[in-house]
Amino acid sequence: MFGLSKVDTKRQNFEELLKPWLDGLYAAGLRLTRNERDAEDLVQDTVMRAYRFFDKFEKGTNFRAWLFKILTNTFINTYRRSVKARSLGEESERQSVEAQFFSADVTDQAQNPEEFLLERAMSADVLAAIDQLPIDFRMVVILADIQEFTYKEIADILDVPVGTVMSRLFRGRKLLQKVLLSNSNAEATTVDLNAYRSRKMLGG
Amino acid sequence: MNCRDFDTALFPYLDDELVENERANVEMHAAHCEGCASKLRSEQAVLSTIRARARDEAPRAPAALMERISNNLAAESTRSRRRQLARWSVAAAGVMTVAWVGHLEWQAHQRRLFVEEAARRHARSLPLEIVGQPEAVEAWFGGKLDHRVTVPRIPNATTAGARVSNVRDRQAAYIRYETANGAMNGASAQPRRVGLFVFGDESGDVSVGSLPDPDVGSSLGYNVVTWREGDVVYQLVTDLDEADVRSLLPQPNAATRPTLDVQPASFVH
Repeated sequence: MFGLSKVDTKRQNFEELLKPWLDGLYAAGLRLTRNERDAEDLVQDTVMRAYRFFDKFEKGTNFRAWLFKILTNTFINTYRRSVKARSLGEESERQSVEAQFFSADVTDQAQNPEEFLLERAMSADVLAAIDQLPIDFRMVVILADIQEFTYKEIADILDVPVGTVMSRLFRGRKLLQKVLLSNSNAEATTVDLNAYRSRKMLGG
Repeated sequence: MNCRDFDTALFPYLDDELVENERANVEMHAAHCEGCASKLRSEQAVLSTIRARARDEAPRAPAALMERISNNLAAESTRSRRRQLARWSVAAAGVMTVAWVGHLEWQAHQRRLFVEEAARRHARSLPLEIVGQPEAVEAWFGGKLDHRVTVPRIPNATTAGARVSNVRDRQAAYIRYETANGAMNGASAQPRRVGLFVFGDESGDVSVGSLPDPDVGSSLGYNVVTWREGDVVYQLVTDLDEADVRSLLPQPNAATRPTLDVQPASFVH
């Protein structure tokens, strides 16, 4: 009787813009929260916030990056511990994980069997390995390697300089490689090593 | 370009982030440095494998999620539209009646969503961000939310601590209390956890009354008592039974100090 109101139009526009990115938001949310229920909540919270701020969004600009910015902000503000605990906890978390994985021995081992690393990457649970990364690294790896944003987009989303994105991505990916190498799967490891060694012998 | 610079440029190269002459530098170096060329091949293979695996394994959003989101958006739009409707003249009274009945159902539905959400978040027992007495909690909340937070004093319970939380899509203060030993259910009772959500609701999404006439609902085995004081909504969540819950409610018109003193910051001139 009243026809489409401005509000209906706004909602339809918003839903149309949103639909292609819902899977991506959920996938990223799941890596961040590591829990299906929380991932759904995070996505719902994100979408409702985005809708409330939709009037402020400049039409024609990067809607996907805008959505993911709201996702990461909502995650940080809602699902993380308090600021103080966060910076202390994350720093020590990062240091202990790095200490574990960046010791000289592990670095040497990892440099040599490049094919071994590739086989691990192919057969291991990559998402589970990503989940093991400290949150700062995890976020850039998710945005770069799962969502395939550019460095500039990631910098906008996380509100950090591009240089920070590059350095976190470098360290995050290196760490991910170490995690993939060391995640234990005893059988596969033995088989991989043997296969690798015999190939090395044949190849010379 | 030396090997050290090559290492730094490698990922940006593989991510297509370099400009043309930078790309050329990388490729030229790889052309005459077998060590770096090998690194390039290896990193390229690993990176594309990781990306392909992550893409293939990435879960799709559950079907119900988009549905729920659509419903929430529709409810949000409905609320805006109903405000528009309310401005129409009396001639539209017939429509208004129908709209009013639908509105009541919608309000009940919204209340239900808030009750469920409060119960769910309380049940999660997320860690407290501040542990301590009401004064410490109030000081801690300073500036964290859009409005100032005062910790209501609850009879028969002490303040354990608080955290910033959410109810549905809005920020809320979550204050945890513990009932005094033996105050409920007999002398041997363990202290019970009580949660209180406090959030601003200027737009009136939560249609409940003030004390002493709150809304009482239940979800997930918890009783949730919801009331408002002006623009502020309170939700008390506990697994105590309803009779005991009543004895926890802050007394309305409490004497000297106002127990509820939450003003949206935007309204403070």
